[in-house]
Amino acid sequence: MALITLARLRKEFKGAVAVQGIDLEIKDGEFLVLVGPSGCGKTTTLRMIAGLEEPTSGEITIDGRPARGLDPGQRNLGMVFQNLALFPHKAVADNIAFGLRMKKVPPEEIRSRVAQVARTMHITHLLAKLPAHCSGGEAQRVALARTLVTNPTAFLLDEPLSNLDAMLRKEMRAEIDRLHSQLRQTFVYVTHDQEEAMTLADRIVVMREGVVEQVGTPMEIYHDPVNQFVASFFGSPAMNLIDGEVRLTTGGPAFSFNGREVPLTGLGRVPDGPATLGVRPEAVRVEGVTDGYPARVSLIEPLGKETLLYLDYGTERLLIAVANSSVGVSEGTSLAFDLSGGRLFLFDTEGRRLGRSDAGSS
Amino acid sequence: MITRQWAVTTLRYALLILWAGISIFPIFWMVSTSLKSSAEWFAWPAHFIPNAPTLDNYRLVWSPFEQPEGFGRRDVQTSQISSPWSAFRNSVVIAGTSTILSVAIGLLLAYAASRYQALSERRMFNLLMLRMVPAITVALPILIYYRWWEETLSLQFLDTFHGLIILYVVTTLPYSLWMIKSFIDEIPLEIEEAAAVLGASTLRTLWEVVLPLVRSGLVATLLFVLILTWSEYLLALTLGFGDIATLPVAMSRYEGATEGRIYGHQAALSVGVTFPLVIVGLAIHRHLVRGFSFGMMRR
Repeated sequence: MALITLARLRKEFKGAVAVQGIDLEIKDGEFLVLVGPSGCGKTTTLRMIAGLEEPTSGEITIDGRPARGLDPGQRNLGMVFQNLALFPHKAVADNIAFGLRMKKVPPEEIRSRVAQVARTMHITHLLAKLPAHCSGGEAQRVALARTLVTNPTAFLLDEPLSNLDAMLRKEMRAEIDRLHSQLRQTFVYVTHDQEEAMTLADRIVVMREGVVEQVGTPMEIYHDPVNQFVASFFGSPAMNLIDGEVRLTTGGPAFSFNGREVPLTGLGRVPDGPATLGVRPEAVRVEGVTDGYPARVSLIEPLGKETLLYLDYGTERLLIAVANSSVGVSEGTSLAFDLSGGRLFLFDTEGRRLGRSDAGSS
Repeated sequence: MITRQWAVTTLRYALLILWAGISIFPIFWMVSTSLKSSAEWFAWPAHFIPNAPTLDNYRLVWSPFEQPEGFGRRDVQTSQISSPWSAFRNSVVIAGTSTILSVAIGLLLAYAASRYQALSERRMFNLLMLRMVPAITVALPILIYYRWWEETLSLQFLDTFHGLIILYVVTTLPYSLWMIKSFIDEIPLEIEEAAAVLGASTLRTLWEVVLPLVRSGLVATLLFVLILTWSEYLLALTLGFGDIATLPVAMSRYEGATEGRIYGHQAALSVGVTFPLVIVGLAIHRHLVRGFSFGMMRR
């Protein structure tokens, strides 16, 4: 079991602040994903938990024990690196056995545990091979097996799938998910891929520039982002952002852009003034709209199940709409779209969310 | 277009062949001379191939027995050194020990420099610059120091194995450090971090992970340093003139004041000096290819 807490955790590199004081509690058995753009401090945070970086200030405790002063090997954590970091000169079996040998496990036990974990990860046929002779997916399994065999209290994974092709990535993602539900151990997973975060996580920690922007379940993050950054980071295709301003009319607040207005129903109290409206592409209606906003289809991306329409409505940015694949439009077609049916997000000029229903406006 | 490419290729090969000729000729000449009898040493026009090849020079020089007076040329003062075999033994001990020490210390230093930034770029460069100093400027001060220590502290360094070995280790260390560091730099840090997370200590990681990965580099460094120490002449002559004369020093003694140069004997000795290096080089050539092209061969 592993309960990992980070308290005011901070890391500076030669004057540059990588992590600016994080407070976080990682629950036992939880699959926690640290996500954010590169340079946001997610990997540094993971490396501090692993003991590979010394925090500038702040505390890490693992199962109530302060981690400060403990070597990486004394923390009983398992780590999978982005480039896997398999020992290239050791056969797969020796790679897997390494951690057990360091812990002075008797040789017979090492042999049986290596064989067992190899069966679990379906790599028994690779045991005699060198890592260089394994395929990308196989090497990935070996790296997981090497970590798994030592029975760590928590698994730290640093973008483990980033070097794989798209197909294999999906496959290994499912594999890691299966592993987590089988082991019920704590997983801390770093990625810059929002889709990976959404599919794997029990909870997501969104980071930017060394700061935690939001912590929540994938659904909370998706449906109730605290700011424009989180809102536009999650979802594919990304959320549409429309610049305009809020006007307080007799019928309630409305968002005005391009000389048109969208009624802001369902939002709490919002101040008037310049703002940005966020609309998920799936909330943009284009079919059966009679009284909507005029636009021209400038690009069509058929995805099979559905079709993405890039709509030019007279501003620099194109508006993306998800339409049924049977939608009968072609590039250059004029049509009307409607925003009033779906959920709307409103952000102030600083990117803060306005009119957030539960927490109120921030 | 094809003809131009052909011309470039031809020129390139012509230059390479010329360069190979320039490099190989002295070795050829050495071997050839070693097989000539004394009459042919000074023959003009020169005999590139000996008319009457003989192994007499080898027999004379490398005879394991004390040579009776008057054996071969009467005026050769072979008594100056007992036999080249003692010089050979001295060379093996001195060059071998200092090479192993230099590479071993160099490995630890290089690891510290690569992973803990123990030496700044500037300091690394300064260390290499030390080697640009001509040996003669070092030889005399060291001679004075060694003599002084002997007189004031009764510390025997002059004409001793350790006196020369220490000096060789110090002078070759910059090379060892530079070469090995470049090999260690090639190893992704994550591999060592993975070992650390799995519970390996730093020394354990160095021994089990780093060392096997830089093995080829170490072998290449070993040969390089061995060539330096094996063929070093000036320091050995200045500081090891008597009991511990090494092969290069012994070789120079086949040149007498009265009898002139004894080319055949020197050549036979030179072949014997060169031979072990060639053997070592051939034995480890697999490592050399990997060692000298380390960065290009990975993955």
